[in-house]
Amino acid sequence: MPPTLEDLLPLTPPVFHILVALSDEERHGYGIMQDVARQTDNALQLGPGTLYGCLKRMLAAGMVEESDVRPDPALDDERRRYYRMTPLGQRVVRAEAQRLANAVTTAKTRRLFDRPEARVTGGA
Amino acid sequence: MPQSIVMRWFCRLYLVMLYAYPREFRLQYGGDMQQLFRDRCRQVTRTPSLWNWVRFATQSAADWMSTMFQERIAAVREITVQECASKTFQVVRTVWSVGRSTQPRGFVAEWAMTLIIFLFATTTLVQAYVVPTGSMESTVMIGDHMLVDRMSYSDPGSWGSHLLPYRDVQRGDIVCFHYPEDVRQIYVKRVIGIPGDRIHMENKQVVRNGQRLIERYTQHIDPIIDPYRDNFPQAPAWSTTPHGREMLADDVRDGELVVPPGKLFMMGDNRENSADSRYWGLVPRDSVVGKPVFVYWSYDAPTADFESWSVDHLIDVATHFFTKTRWNRTFRVPRAQRAEVAP
Repeated sequence: MPPTLEDLLPLTPPVFHILVALSDEERHGYGIMQDVARQTDNALQLGPGTLYGCLKRMLAAGMVEESDVRPDPALDDERRRYYRMTPLGQRVVRAEAQRLANAVTTAKTRRLFDRPEARVTGGA
Repeated sequence: MPQSIVMRWFCRLYLVMLYAYPREFRLQYGGDMQQLFRDRCRQVTRTPSLWNWVRFATQSAADWMSTMFQERIAAVREITVQECASKTFQVVRTVWSVGRSTQPRGFVAEWAMTLIIFLFATTTLVQAYVVPTGSMESTVMIGDHMLVDRMSYSDPGSWGSHLLPYRDVQRGDIVCFHYPEDVRQIYVKRVIGIPGDRIHMENKQVVRNGQRLIERYTQHIDPIIDPYRDNFPQAPAWSTTPHGREMLADDVRDGELVVPPGKLFMMGDNRENSADSRYWGLVPRDSVVGKPVFVYWSYDAPTADFESWSVDHLIDVATHFFTKTRWNRTFRVPRAQRAEVAP
């Protein structure tokens, strides 16, 4: 039986950020790692073990899949594997983003921000 | 692209470290992980500094440690009993066939992995400790990193006693144990009294069961006689802990400490600068962890550096490893010594 949305939530920070990294385009491992570092202002540096451990579980759960599409071979190393998000992954990351947004809203109502428009960095 | 030597060594080391991951995982993702690691190395090379390299190394080590265990546990969960049996059979057959037939490919690799696992497993038999204080000088110095044998004093009833030489704690042994006031700390001291011993001190000299001891392993740095410290337990105590006060109230008879059953009386060799059983009481026999086997590395740095982990200390070691290592202490064995009896 494939896992339902509820089984997969809440996501761990690495999994969430990997899905966010894959939301706009297909990326290879190093591309994902760089994008996650960018998203989190270098707070989350995914190591190889963490990244591929997560990808393995995400592949098993059907959140991502390997992509056959290769960009221009002259432009990139063809040995690299590219990953893309599946429709399930899309639903999962949306649900997780909503969950986090709710949590932030709750934090705001309890006056945990100095200014209401304070920007949140660092993610989960 | 010119590769720095540091980077080449890091990549080579990482290749070896990959063998700690389960085989399936390694075959599936090992190549990609290596590639990613190399890319990260290049990224660090672009802004090279000692701090960047140290941070990168600690991050990678942490990543490796945690995910290796995670993947191993996941692999164990996935395995069925049948697979388990067939794997054991394979291992047995491989070991059996060493030197008899052509070795299967990847044999060395599999054994390298087994060795790593073995090193982790042996932490229950042998464990590494660092000594942060000088209370055992000159026998044990600040910054001595020691391997401690955890089996030799283990409970005689356990299975280990049938396989390994077992000997109960004796007077004069150097012993590692859990500090009675805070069991999270490991202390190292010398055993002075075992159950039944009557002990007191006269002007820095230990008198045990009526015999004056000559202890050649001690160090005396203070000529002044402190009434409590050097004539234990005759003068009124003032700097004892709750356990110490309990000992003075329960176990002192006619001006002598009588060591009760199941307890040990410990003192440091640096007698005037040692917080020991005189101040914090007796050590339960069950708190004994083991005995130091040898010093594998001795590094000259202040107490604070060894009490908590710091980046400064790491950098200090990286830059002064050769000059501040006490080479003459390497592989030194802190020996048990019997005290002689004065005529």
